[in-house]
Amino acid sequence: MVELLLDPNIRLWVFLPIVIITFLVGIVRHYVSIILSSQKKIELIQVQDSQVMIRARLLRENGKYLPRQSFAMRRHWFNNEETGYFKVQKRAATSQNPMTDPGMMTDMLKGNVTNVLPMIVIGGWINWMFSGFLTTKVPFPLTLRFKPMLQRGVELTHLDASWVSSASWYFLNVFGLRTIYALVLGENNAADQSKIMQEQMSGAAMAMPPDPKAAFKAEWEALEITEHKWALANVEADLLTTEK
Amino acid sequence: MSVTKGKDNKPEPIAYSEAALRNNAVVVEYCRTSMAALSGSTAGVLGLTGLYGFAFYVFAVVSLWVMFMLKTGPNWHKYYISRQSLLTNGFFGALFTYVLFWTFIYGMVHVY
Repeated sequence: MVELLLDPNIRLWVFLPIVIITFLVGIVRHYVSIILSSQKKIELIQVQDSQVMIRARLLRENGKYLPRQSFAMRRHWFNNEETGYFKVQKRAATSQNPMTDPGMMTDMLKGNVTNVLPMIVIGGWINWMFSGFLTTKVPFPLTLRFKPMLQRGVELTHLDASWVSSASWYFLNVFGLRTIYALVLGENNAADQSKIMQEQMSGAAMAMPPDPKAAFKAEWEALEITEHKWALANVEADLLTTEK
Repeated sequence: MSVTKGKDNKPEPIAYSEAALRNNAVVVEYCRTSMAALSGSTAGVLGLTGLYGFAFYVFAVVSLWVMFMLKTGPNWHKYYISRQSLLTNGFFGALFTYVLFWTFIYGMVHVY
């Protein structure tokens, strides 16, 4: 195989610009998506419902550490036939279809605008601007199977498969630079860490079951059959035996 | 979840802090990406080709792992659940970064 000789100008005006353009477009896309992202609004009643659910679950799981009377009191507050929370609260069964919710639609559209559109536009532009160059050679041998992947836009049957055309070099960059974005935008993401944390804290509260009525019913049943078993009954004796 | 000890003498379950674990994973991921980028550039500058380059990647991964172990010292289990997964996690994800940088620098230095 005869080595090809490439013009050094290709390196300066094709090879390097593609890397820089891809990288900077990724950065811009990150910031645009930050601008476009909208805060999700939560309904007060949903938060209330989910917090009640969490409380009921905690009571079910850790109620054994409460004295019997306290446990019964709490369960009474949830489950009493006349005044219990699960019995009194009447929630309309909501069935949300994401397609009919305009907010959801806008979010999906924004995701498309920031992710798919630049890919198509910039990819097309690079294809048009830098078409037909061989830019580089991967430093390891490849089989012929890789030729259509790495040599898009350059159809030469006798060319060694390890040469990379400009369009393919762009795609390699798009996929390979993802981890670098995580590295470079790290400081920014670290600044947002508190936000993510907050989201996780309230995430359990926000993740409300779609149908509160059924969820309440299920929780009511689960709480009703819970048997109180006082876990600390022999605690003094246990402590004294272990202390010895 | 609650950590409790029953009457029977079972070994006490170990409680992990979710946030700390996640933070450790993020830091390790940063180190791994940097390692892949730096070692890829090194391989490109040195002009390694073929299997030598991949051997160099394996060498870089293992040496990063050794560095983690030196940093944490004998009580590594305070920071990570498993040593093996520290070595093998993200092997192929970082390999992609490595190959990109390797190709890039190799092309810049040796092809033209």
